[in-house]
Amino acid sequence: MDIEKYRKMFLSEAAEHLQNMAKQLVAVEADPEDGEGINSLFREAHSIKGMAATMGFDATTRLAHHLEDRLAEFRGKGQISSEMIDRLLAGVDLLEGLLEDIAQGEQERDVDLFIHGEQLALIELEPLDSAEEDDACCDLASNRMLIRLLLDESVVAPGPRLLVLLNRVAEFGTVLETTPSEENLLQGEISRTLLVQLETEIPQQEILKRLECYRELSKIEFPAAVLEEETARNKPGRVSATSTVRVDTDLLDRFINLTGELITNRYQLQSAAGEKDWTELNEGLGQLARLVKSLHHQVLQVRMMPLESVTGRLPRTVRDLCRSSGKEVRLEVLGASLEIDRSILEALTDPLTHMIRNAIDHGIAKQGTVQIKAWRERDQILIQVADDGRGIDPEMVRQRALDSNLISPGQAQTMRDFETYQLLCLPGFTTKEQVTETSGRGVGMDVVKSVVEKLGGVLLIDSNLGKGTRVTMKLPLSVAIIRVLLVLCDGSLLGIPITRILQTVEVEPGEVQTSGKQLAISLHGELIPLLSLRKIMQRPKGPGKTMLSLVITEVFGRKVGLVVDRLQGQQEVFVQSLPSPFDQLRGTGGGAILGDGRIMFLFDLQSKLEGRRAKGA
Amino acid sequence: MKQVLIVDDALFMRNLLRDIFEGAGWTVVAEAEDGFQAVEQFQALQPDLVTMDIVMPRMGGIDAMRRILQDFPEARIVMCSALGQERMVMEAINAGAMDFIVKPFQDQQVLDVVARVCNA
Repeated sequence: MDIEKYRKMFLSEAAEHLQNMAKQLVAVEADPEDGEGINSLFREAHSIKGMAATMGFDATTRLAHHLEDRLAEFRGKGQISSEMIDRLLAGVDLLEGLLEDIAQGEQERDVDLFIHGEQLALIELEPLDSAEEDDACCDLASNRMLIRLLLDESVVAPGPRLLVLLNRVAEFGTVLETTPSEENLLQGEISRTLLVQLETEIPQQEILKRLECYRELSKIEFPAAVLEEETARNKPGRVSATSTVRVDTDLLDRFINLTGELITNRYQLQSAAGEKDWTELNEGLGQLARLVKSLHHQVLQVRMMPLESVTGRLPRTVRDLCRSSGKEVRLEVLGASLEIDRSILEALTDPLTHMIRNAIDHGIAKQGTVQIKAWRERDQILIQVADDGRGIDPEMVRQRALDSNLISPGQAQTMRDFETYQLLCLPGFTTKEQVTETSGRGVGMDVVKSVVEKLGGVLLIDSNLGKGTRVTMKLPLSVAIIRVLLVLCDGSLLGIPITRILQTVEVEPGEVQTSGKQLAISLHGELIPLLSLRKIMQRPKGPGKTMLSLVITEVFGRKVGLVVDRLQGQQEVFVQSLPSPFDQLRGTGGGAILGDGRIMFLFDLQSKLEGRRAKGA
Repeated sequence: MKQVLIVDDALFMRNLLRDIFEGAGWTVVAEAEDGFQAVEQFQALQPDLVTMDIVMPRMGGIDAMRRILQDFPEARIVMCSALGQERMVMEAINAGAMDFIVKPFQDQQVLDVVARVCNA
């Protein structure tokens, strides 16, 4: 019996209801007169209760029932107090915990403390409804029921028999789900039991009566609860939420069309090659390039999810932070429907929360707005978190960096404001004693930055004293296929993600200046220190050259010029992660095989230098 | 008095079914040896029930049933199948057959199915 399938269905549906509840609660608090909001909260709780009862999850049922009761009281009044919202949110949290327990196949955690603890508190406010009402759990799923039919051993054609029974049951109401499914039955799956989840208004007794005339049935059951043994048998462990993707059938059709065109293209190329018809071959190759590009684009689509799936939780975060800090903050989300590669989105959850927290804790003084804005610029996704708070004083940051020996006095003098803000992402900037009220942000910004950079992106901080702060993440559209700049270093080919490069320049050796031991060049009036890729990679010095090729990039929030042997142009590459033990190599973020068969390694300057730093320390 | 149309290409099966039905007080209004005859007979007589063999010459039972249901969606049709024809039976059920019996059958099994179909 495939109870497992119902469990998954229950878990994903209940989680959706819970997320709606959390969102709705915050909305209702903002607008206490929102009677429809309260109604919809009530309905969500009711749905969870019904499903949990059907599945026999007792604690979840009781808690949902309890929340539903509380909401019912307010439904009459049309208003909910903030304290009550707190309690309800706590209840939603507890329900989330229960779902986790169920997903793990563990015993549901205790809910009595919550239920009774709350009742004790409520007694002072108002007399409780009679206790019997809480016992009304038995008629919970009045319109949903599970029916389990077991065929007698003597039935010779179980498949068709179950199909007839399924048709019969379908006459009683709406069949929500069956095990085995009708499709599987038609395809010849052999089963002697049929589990049907039915939505019906016909009472159980009546259904039993109508099914009893089937002598082929040895058992007719209405499992209000799922039997222990069944759940025990179907307890394979965690339910993975990430392993499947829903794909639009339109998209699948387009794949099929493209594949068809590729096949045609292959014959075109074959015949052109056979006849040595170079014009035709060229045309075919052009066609192939177009098709592959289109295929690439479509494949990426499959992995896309709207930003909303991450920002959906943020109103709750903002609300909790407001309650604990006593500030009044409005959250605005623009571009929530922008679609982003799911692996990038998943990695962004924590950084976004972090940035919001920073904005509220350090940016906004008493009241203000935090705005999340997402948009697309060519091959990049930009996500910006902006507040209209007090902003960051660059002087303060410089001083603090100087105090902690992160920069030299000389650097402090020449450093421009924009660069100064990037110092906030230095790991040394985030120790506890430095996070005073005036130090502004910096809490965990190094973590945020490293996540963004791991994804091949860039983090930029920009602030205006007294007006607010903007933190912008520039991210690639996809992590698997990226555009890189190919550079040569002592005969080896390295790729640097384009998103990490600010500029490439070629300069004459005479333009190189020395400041102390450090070589540098002046670019647009800005002094940029030079690093030699050969030196970093521990290769011998190269021959002297008439022109130096430089890649201007950023490390630890500072601009640097990386001296390479030669720039070899841009290319889109499919990056594959390196197998162990090569994945341990610092500075190498994966590899790719180029069209001409050469192997390229993805080069990550910062992590390479971090390795050296760690060794030096 | 309930009326039934028996469709089967084997005379032996038709006789067997006739005995069962008549023993239970039914009237066998007609017999058909293939799908074409079945459709014709149904249109002419519109019986309360049809027992329909699946594999028959000229026109099979499933096609005959489809034709009958096109004009008479309320027709009560019970398929008569042999062992090993599960797929075809399911196709028939999907196409509108109300129930089925599997040969070889016992009298009571047939009457159970008939009773259910007529009460539904």
